[in-house]
Amino acid sequence: MNQHRHLTLVAAAASILAALPLSGVFSAWTWLVDAVIVVITVAGVALLVRSLRVAAWIPTAAMALAFLFVLTWMFQSGQELLGLIPTPRTFAHFNTLLLNAGRDMQDMAVPVADREGLLFLSTLGVGIVAIVIDLLTIVVRRPALAGLPMLAIYSVPVAVRQDSVNVLPFAAGAAGFLWLLATDNVDRVRRFGRRFTGEGRGVDAWEPSPLAAAGRRLATVGVLIAVAVPLVVPGSNTGLLERFGPGAGGGLGEGVGPGGAPGRTVDMYAVLSGELNNSRTFDMVKVTTNDPDPYYLRFGVADEVTPAGFRARSPGGGQPVSSGLPVPPIEPAVGVAWRRYRAQVQVTALKMNTLPIYLQPTKADRLDNSWLYDTANQVVYSRRSDSQGKRYSFEYIDPEFTPEALRTARPLDSSNLIQRQFTTVPRNSEVERIVSEITANKQTPYDKVRAIYNYFSSSNGFHYSLQTKSGTSGSAILDFLTNKQGFCEQYSAAMAWLVRAAGVPARVAFGFSRGSNRNGETWTLTNRNLHAWTEVYFERFGWVPFDATPASSVGGVESAWAPDPTRQQNASSGSTPADGLPIPGGPGRDPSAGPDPARADRLDGSSGSSGAPAPEPTPWPVWAALGAAAAALLLVVPALWRTLLRRRRSPHRIAGPRPLAVTTVAGSPDVVVTDESAIDVARVRAHAAWDELIDTMIDHRLPVDPAASPRTTAERLITGSALDEWAATGARLLGQAEERARYARQPLRSDDLTGSLRTVREAIAHRVSVRTRLRAIFLPASVLGRWRLAVTEASTRVAETVDQWRESTVRVFSIRRLLPGARR
Amino acid sequence: MTTQRTQDELGRPLPPLEFRAVTEAIVANVERVIEGKSAAVRLALAAMLAEGHLLIEDVPGVGKTKLAKALARSIDCTVRRIQFTPDLLPSDVTGVSVYNQESRDFEFKPGAVFANIVVGDEINRASPKTQSALLECMEERQVTVDGVTYPLQTPFMVIATQNPIEMEGTYPLPEAQRDRFTVRIAMGYPDVKSELAMLDGHGGDDRVLDLLPVSDAATVRRLIATVRGVHASDAVRQYAVSLVTTTRESPDLRLGASPRATLQLLRTARAVAALEGRDYVLPDDLQSLAVPVLAHRIIPTAEAQLSRRTTDAIVADIVRHLPIPSERQRSPYDTRGQYDPGRR
Repeated sequence: MNQHRHLTLVAAAASILAALPLSGVFSAWTWLVDAVIVVITVAGVALLVRSLRVAAWIPTAAMALAFLFVLTWMFQSGQELLGLIPTPRTFAHFNTLLLNAGRDMQDMAVPVADREGLLFLSTLGVGIVAIVIDLLTIVVRRPALAGLPMLAIYSVPVAVRQDSVNVLPFAAGAAGFLWLLATDNVDRVRRFGRRFTGEGRGVDAWEPSPLAAAGRRLATVGVLIAVAVPLVVPGSNTGLLERFGPGAGGGLGEGVGPGGAPGRTVDMYAVLSGELNNSRTFDMVKVTTNDPDPYYLRFGVADEVTPAGFRARSPGGGQPVSSGLPVPPIEPAVGVAWRRYRAQVQVTALKMNTLPIYLQPTKADRLDNSWLYDTANQVVYSRRSDSQGKRYSFEYIDPEFTPEALRTARPLDSSNLIQRQFTTVPRNSEVERIVSEITANKQTPYDKVRAIYNYFSSSNGFHYSLQTKSGTSGSAILDFLTNKQGFCEQYSAAMAWLVRAAGVPARVAFGFSRGSNRNGETWTLTNRNLHAWTEVYFERFGWVPFDATPASSVGGVESAWAPDPTRQQNASSGSTPADGLPIPGGPGRDPSAGPDPARADRLDGSSGSSGAPAPEPTPWPVWAALGAAAAALLLVVPALWRTLLRRRRSPHRIAGPRPLAVTTVAGSPDVVVTDESAIDVARVRAHAAWDELIDTMIDHRLPVDPAASPRTTAERLITGSALDEWAATGARLLGQAEERARYARQPLRSDDLTGSLRTVREAIAHRVSVRTRLRAIFLPASVLGRWRLAVTEASTRVAETVDQWRESTVRVFSIRRLLPGARR
Repeated sequence: MTTQRTQDELGRPLPPLEFRAVTEAIVANVERVIEGKSAAVRLALAAMLAEGHLLIEDVPGVGKTKLAKALARSIDCTVRRIQFTPDLLPSDVTGVSVYNQESRDFEFKPGAVFANIVVGDEINRASPKTQSALLECMEERQVTVDGVTYPLQTPFMVIATQNPIEMEGTYPLPEAQRDRFTVRIAMGYPDVKSELAMLDGHGGDDRVLDLLPVSDAATVRRLIATVRGVHASDAVRQYAVSLVTTTRESPDLRLGASPRATLQLLRTARAVAALEGRDYVLPDDLQSLAVPVLAHRIIPTAEAQLSRRTTDAIVADIVRHLPIPSERQRSPYDTRGQYDPGRR
């Protein structure tokens, strides 16, 4: 018992150590407190139960029960008995928590704040892993397998974090695993009696043995190598552009605000792809504006570029919007129209700590002091409140530029702060080659940007798809430039990247495309309208939006300075619209003609599955019925199997020529078969009938003695089950047939085997209780036993193969082999 | 038994009906004097048909000698009786060369073993020296005296009786000789009815003397030939070997059964099968014969003796627990896969 106690404690400690890598997912440590409480409770219960002498499975069951109780206590719905005993409401609450966790996972970036759903998920996971580790270590005595659940935990941060995962939690988890292995081995050795330590003195039971020093050294070296090797191997950034996700700590409005309200770190790329792929369409924002042709509603910016792509920087600085917004310096210039408009926004289903606004806001109403304006990013944000349910109005200036005007913008001085900040981009020779190709012979920044903008046109092979393709180039941006398939995420980021590579400041903006749902002056924006585009900085003009994503695919807006490249080519190459004003009636203009992404999806050929209104969720009774049907099906599998086997064994079904030449051997009372092929048939039939009889006996829980001959077995069946005369004759016939088939030169030929079999089976079934009869039908012991045997044999074979393999490996790699004198 | 005669010398096998008639006649004849001991009588006959020797071991007065005599008298052949006494000499058994004055040469005077059936009464009252004289003739069916080998007739059978070793004035039989006895049977006390019947019949004369032979040596040879032709399938042979092997591996036994035991076990099983009218051996035959054929050859360990486990009980235990080989005769249906899996 003592060593079990010790092992239980070590398993619990190892579980906690193994859970440490989760620290990379959460921003606070609340999850660890929860996990420790759960693990301690579960391990305590295990200790308590193990101190009693009970069957091996009982502690595990008790642990599971205790886990359920502690989970109920920690995540109460308020409906529990005594706060501990779960009720159906509790499980509904758990379900809600899990659903919440799923939603949070879809649109939050790591590290996440303490959301109850996520905490529940992590606690649930850690608890299950703790129980599994305990089960594997103490009950099954295979602590090596406990590494698998540990690895499962470790895979969570590895999977969700874009950047590298901290080394320390990994090392802690590995140490916990090794500790578990070492403890188990010491325990195994101790069972043989005194431990030999090589020091010639008695050592304490759990004192590390000097003999094991080599093993400990190997373990340490192993962990060190595991930690060090990834540092040396150059990392690959494959697949990162596909998400363009921000790395750690890069979300908007990071962490908890000073007010203490739980902030929410939103990964805007995650929100974008999550919502665009959402099968459900719902309204997020309603905006009413007197602008007849509004551009995109905008709420965020990503301007920091890493090899992993663009990532959002948390907005900072600025002043409260209630104290007025800085009026942008307006320089009257030729070809630039500044018009003032006013807009009211009602946020229905968008929970962020930034507010969607139009550029360039000049005055905001009905917003409290907590909302600040970040001048650099032109984002209204808050550290305390969120956008959910907000209603506000603001005035803004909608600029319109003509290409001629923009063409007058000169490149910024290299010492300019904006130029320095917004043109940094990871060096990539291939990208640079593409950029220099595109921008060859282009003099002004605007022409370069237009060339890059045109590069993404569908005539160049790019096409819009929510399904991205992963490539093989090892660089995500190159993958997109090669595969030419993606959606706004890829378009906006790739364009910003190329523009930056061309030496022009650029960034990625997030918001809503204009969509097509217009009712007078009111535009309703759904999750399908979420969008990302590129903003380019021009001297004297400020940030000018360019949307490289095909306008027709996203309900986008075509602007005078960035017309649809395909149409522009069709009209007249090289010329720009004369008046510099947006062309009315263009595809992006007409609200009714501008297809929304849902329709784009349909056009893409995905047959409307995602674009169509989401089907009604299947009601739970249907699921329950389906589950019950599946369970019932599973239940009848053994019975079906048994029936099939019986049919196949039915003597008259066994193929073969009927015995033709039948002679009566003089002096023998039986009719025996003499024809050679008929002999085989008769023999096989007798075997089949006998097998069926034996299986029937096994199914009906009648004793079958492997040391008894067919004759004895039949006699015992007759006396044991008190068979009537008729059945007894049948049983004897079956026994005799099998006996002759096995041991005589000539098998017995009898056409009555099938009939006898039926008689005997009915007689047996008649003799046993109803319960046994039902079990014989639905859980036939013969079939189950054979399956069990097959599984055992298969696992034994696998174990043997692995053992052989291991042995040969050890032999090959053994250093001992090289030592002289160590050979055997 | 390496010098046993060939099939031709034995004669043709008897047809089943005739075989049955002859054996039933012998059994019925013996049962006229031994009431209620049908199993023992059949076993004794089986030992004879299996070309073996019979050892009847029991307490005095249960009819051992009577069984031996009745069996011998039922067959019209030469029968000799040796009363084993402590002063019996080997030459009394085997024969001796005496100097013939007339021919001026040594002349062999055959001993008691030169007969078809030798009844050795109270065999364990002679010294082991004398008993050893039987070793050669029982196994090799020949006698070697003064360097000359004399073959014995067929059938040749030694029927010996003995008292249990606990009785006074007995010597234990050497292991080698015990191993030469194919079957050891115990008579056991008769049941009340048989004993009453015995009282009625035994009022006056010895009825054994009234027994008339119902068969002769030639017929017995043909019976033996018939028994030799009984089929023993591979599974049965396998089972016989397993049974004997298990006695060698049993933790209760110091000495297991010999390969000769395997041979004799299967032979006797053939005889029993034939007596039951079958032309094939069943595992049941082996099971029923395991104790009579194996138990007297094996030596239990000191622990088993201390815990008063008899060799009979040990052998019976082995029989009860040893699975029967379920190996079946090969059939083309197996290889073609028309009938396969549910096989046990």
